[in-house]
Amino acid sequence: MPDKLLVLGVSFRTAPLALRERLAVGEDQAHQDLEALMKNAGLKEGVLLSTCNRVELIATADSPEQAASGTMAYFNQRTSPEKIDGSVYRHYGRDAARHLFRVACGLDSMVLGEPQILGQVKDAFAAAQGAGTVGGFLGRSFERGFSVAKRVRTETGLAAGNVSVSSIACDLAEKIFGDLAGRRVLLVGAGKMSEVAARSLTARGAQLFVVNRSPERAESLAAACGGTAKPLEALATELAEADVVISSTSKRDFVITYELMQGVCKMRRHRPLFIIDIAVPRDVDPRVDSLRNVFLYDMDDLQKVSRENLAARERAVVDAERLIDAELDELERWARSIELTPTIIALRDRVRGLLRGELEKTLPKLAIAESERKKLEGMVEAMANKLLHAPLTELKQSQASTDGATLLEAVQRLFRLGEEPGSIPSTAPSVPAAAKPISVAPAAGAVDARPRERHG
Amino acid sequence: MSTVTAVFVLAVACYAVASALFGVDLGRGGAKVESWATGALGAATGVHCIYLVVDYALSGRTPVATVHQTLALLSLVIAVSFLATMRRHKLPVLGAFITPMTLLLLLAAAFKGHVAEVPEPVRSFLLPFHILVNVLGLAAFALAFAAAVAYVIQEQLLRTRQVGGVFQRLPALDVLDSWGFRLVTIGFPLFTLGVVTGSIWAARLGNVFGFSTGQGFALLAWVFFACVLLSRAAGGWRGRRAAIGTMLGFLCALAAIGGYVLRGVS
Repeated sequence: MPDKLLVLGVSFRTAPLALRERLAVGEDQAHQDLEALMKNAGLKEGVLLSTCNRVELIATADSPEQAASGTMAYFNQRTSPEKIDGSVYRHYGRDAARHLFRVACGLDSMVLGEPQILGQVKDAFAAAQGAGTVGGFLGRSFERGFSVAKRVRTETGLAAGNVSVSSIACDLAEKIFGDLAGRRVLLVGAGKMSEVAARSLTARGAQLFVVNRSPERAESLAAACGGTAKPLEALATELAEADVVISSTSKRDFVITYELMQGVCKMRRHRPLFIIDIAVPRDVDPRVDSLRNVFLYDMDDLQKVSRENLAARERAVVDAERLIDAELDELERWARSIELTPTIIALRDRVRGLLRGELEKTLPKLAIAESERKKLEGMVEAMANKLLHAPLTELKQSQASTDGATLLEAVQRLFRLGEEPGSIPSTAPSVPAAAKPISVAPAAGAVDARPRERHG
Repeated sequence: MSTVTAVFVLAVACYAVASALFGVDLGRGGAKVESWATGALGAATGVHCIYLVVDYALSGRTPVATVHQTLALLSLVIAVSFLATMRRHKLPVLGAFITPMTLLLLLAAAFKGHVAEVPEPVRSFLLPFHILVNVLGLAAFALAFAAAVAYVIQEQLLRTRQVGGVFQRLPALDVLDSWGFRLVTIGFPLFTLGVVTGSIWAARLGNVFGFSTGQGFALLAWVFFACVLLSRAAGGWRGRRAAIGTMLGFLCALAAIGGYVLRGVS
């Protein structure tokens, strides 16, 4: 596999915020940090992902362990005098790719399946591309990561159902009224929580009205959310007009009583009404829920929905992991195939070179005509092809199976590929243009003897 | 197996497959299942049409000659009008209620026994008209019935705080309520004409049919639908009550047809 891939970092699971914030990399700083790491830690490619929940480096290197120590030194320097060794996780090869995929899918997030992380990974990748530290291998790995994250979102239940209380309230309102455009939302009390819910309701086209004990606060909240403030005395008439009510006062007894609502229901001719009571202690008499076409949800109800949605996401983890495994196999196959190409070219050159060398040596000793010379050359070419046919076929087929890497190594040892400079495919004149190594990591320095991953 | 029977069995099979697929769509969801279900229902209506044509060609009876054939026509009209309207209202999942209903009606149509053709004195220029308005009215009520069933389920799930799964897949409460109301509004005048024309015969040929239980159920159905319409305007039956009124109305209308079907057998 991508045995040159490594992931190294800290997350909310392994390190406290105090440590994470010292490692955190600002957008403007990422460029320099990456360059320093490429230079000092011997990385070939690198992406720095820094969010409030994690800071990690996803990279490739010729010797990943060495690169990891280099990166650790760099990290320790940032958090000095405190050492972070105990909080850092390291993954190599397939595990590193799996970690990257899991992070992109939201499987490693604090709120399982949350969608923001994918955007953050994409941003980090784009920043690294801007800094010129992404080559064929990381490019391919991230691209596969984005694609599997998209599949997980659409094909599994990992991202289904909201888990935050305010978005659950909005979803329920939509499931009661259908389109929220033009619906009236009434805020009773002007708490912070109700403001969040109100904003997402108005974002879906609802009109906002605010009733509060202190008119100033009602005015300022209404102004902030593009709503209208109403006096507290208008509560009953506002309730009669409203479609969704969000109550969050700090009063100790019920603000919306059963008796009040009985009258309101008559006034509104039993049009449906959705009341969300997020106050503790409660603002709305629970008996209100038994009124016809009135639906009352309190904090407990919303949290119950949240727990259920989260449980449903947890059940989808297995499906998501299965998709990730399939994608990892795919990435591994690709990685083997690009390792194979230089070896095939080198092997062909080696065999042809040996045979041709012998021919060159013998030809001067023979006194033969030009046409016969051509025939001999043709014969040598045919011998090379006959000789190579079976090994090359075998080598290509083996890459789909698990012993592919072993066979590849055996071929390299048996034919002593990569030992003499003359056998390097990049310098051999017979290399087709497409197989030439593309230098993708400017900071990687000298051209590698066998530039495996650089055929992206 | 005769050609007619073969085509009939094929239609039944298509409806059964569509019912199962719509059931899966309601239970588990998925755009693929939904399009398969819609496709199966489309195929079912196609075969159903062929069945009606073949039946007419071979027996020479128009679809209005017996109550059984009328039933077969009714189930086709329900399926076709559902297919025609659901896309615009984004309600395909209601197929889970409508498709089994059309299947049952089609099976009931095959419940022939000794077919009693409509007696000669009853055949008049009024008969096709009577049947046409009733079929169209009942088709509208059938769709309203499906919306009402979905409403009652949705409301129950919302009240008991089970808002995952099926609740997420069924349409919004208010959408179901207004769709049901609109359909009753369309079906009611048609059904009223049906009841009036039916009553004219009952009065004219009192001795032939008499005031049967069928007619009683038809009148009861009419009363339920009238209540759904009137009380909504007056501000009472909305939501759950309107849904239950619609369901009862439609069941009474079915019972009225059932009376005729059974009499056809005996």
